[in-house]
Amino acid sequence: MRIPYFPGCTLHSKAKGLDYSTRGSLAALGIELTELPQWTCCGTVFPLAQDNYIGMVAAARILANAAKEEGGKLVTVCSFCYHVLKRVNYVIKNNLEARTKLNDYLEENYTGEIEPVHPLEICKEDVGFNVIRDKAARSLKGLKVACYYGCMLVRPASEMNFDDPENPTIMEELVSALGAEVVEYPNKTTCCGSYQVLHDNALVMQRVEDILNSATAKGAEAIITSCPLCQFNLDWLQEKILQENAGFQKIPVLYFTQLLGLALELPQESLGLDQHYVDPRPLLVGA
Amino acid sequence: MAMVLSSKISRELVERIKEISGQNPNLCMQCGTCSAGCTGREFMDFLPRQVMRMIQLGNAKALNFKSIWICSTCLICTARCPRGIDIARLMEALRVINLRQGREVLVAEKIPLELLTQVPQMALTSGFRKLSA
Ligand code: SF4
Ligand code: SF4
Repeated sequence: MRIPYFPGCTLHSKAKGLDYSTRGSLAALGIELTELPQWTCCGTVFPLAQDNYIGMVAAARILANAAKEEGGKLVTVCSFCYHVLKRVNYVIKNNLEARTKLNDYLEENYTGEIEPVHPLEICKEDVGFNVIRDKAARSLKGLKVACYYGCMLVRPASEMNFDDPENPTIMEELVSALGAEVVEYPNKTTCCGSYQVLHDNALVMQRVEDILNSATAKGAEAIITSCPLCQFNLDWLQEKILQENAGFQKIPVLYFTQLLGLALELPQESLGLDQHYVDPRPLLVGA
Repeated sequence: MAMVLSSKISRELVERIKEISGQNPNLCMQCGTCSAGCTGREFMDFLPRQVMRMIQLGNAKALNFKSIWICSTCLICTARCPRGIDIARLMEALRVINLRQGREVLVAEKIPLELLTQVPQMALTSGFRKLSA
């Protein structure tokens, strides 16, 4: 099965590990991602001002181009890309005025027929967690994992239509299929502070410390996420938190696809495990 | 809900906020659910519920609140509001009015170099889109 793939700008630079591990692990599960022949940055944020159509143009162009490929779907893994593509698609489908304006601008006739999908959904619906369970040769048995969704994957529920907005479980189901142990903790959809890291570092540091502490207090040994910004905030700030709080316990923050890739026994060097601030290798390579 | 607005300027302001956000702030019943879950609450000068109230009152001071720049558009408030108000859109309207007047808070030169070189690209794009004119 081949599905068109939109990596997004960060996956070709700061989050290469997410790109490689997504392509690699889905390939091992029989799904080949074919990168769109042409693409730009999706704009990263969905414009919330009613009159800001220009903020939707980039995503609309990507969707219209994906509609020229076969398959009717577009896979993207970064939570921001997924959020903006899905919401712009929703607008094009449901708001005639926006659809007309965007199509006039793009000189296209796109009506929202593409279905943006997330690799977690592919794992669940196209591959099936049972198949993954059978294929996961490397046992992650005993590894305690906390799943972190953050904000963009799940909200707003009506448009994202991605699992339960307050208590999603799709990542936990994957972790169980890989043989690892799920850690329940209360902060899985709490926002990490997002782009505020550029503007109010203290806010993000406080959110991150809270999220990490609540996971480690429940025994988590690793955290997984699908968002490069969540990954960065949760990972990069740990050294600074430790400097301010000697009792702080560090924890590796991985992409869920890296854990999947490990379980599917992809070559370790292809997973980008060396690109994290808190090195996950001592925990995982011997796990 | 009958609302007494103090001046014509305020009335115009509320209309602009409604137009940009597509939301009706008068639906807010001041329950505080939005504030309780807000990501930035401890760093805000006025909590989301208070921002809603100031908009209801047509008080232009809401435009100068630090809170609107602290909001990370995480949509927790929007997801939980029992009156169905998309509060994040109202926060955006307040930012947008500022931005269209050239007021901004995220200035590239002020971002520490260490952070600038390490942060993922999408953080820069989203930060500048939300906080810069
Ligand atoms: S949750 Fe909604 S109704 Fe309650 S205070 Fe906030 S805006 Fe008002
Ligand atoms: S969207 Fe903004 S105001 Fe609403 S909860 Fe998140 S940070 Fe707070």
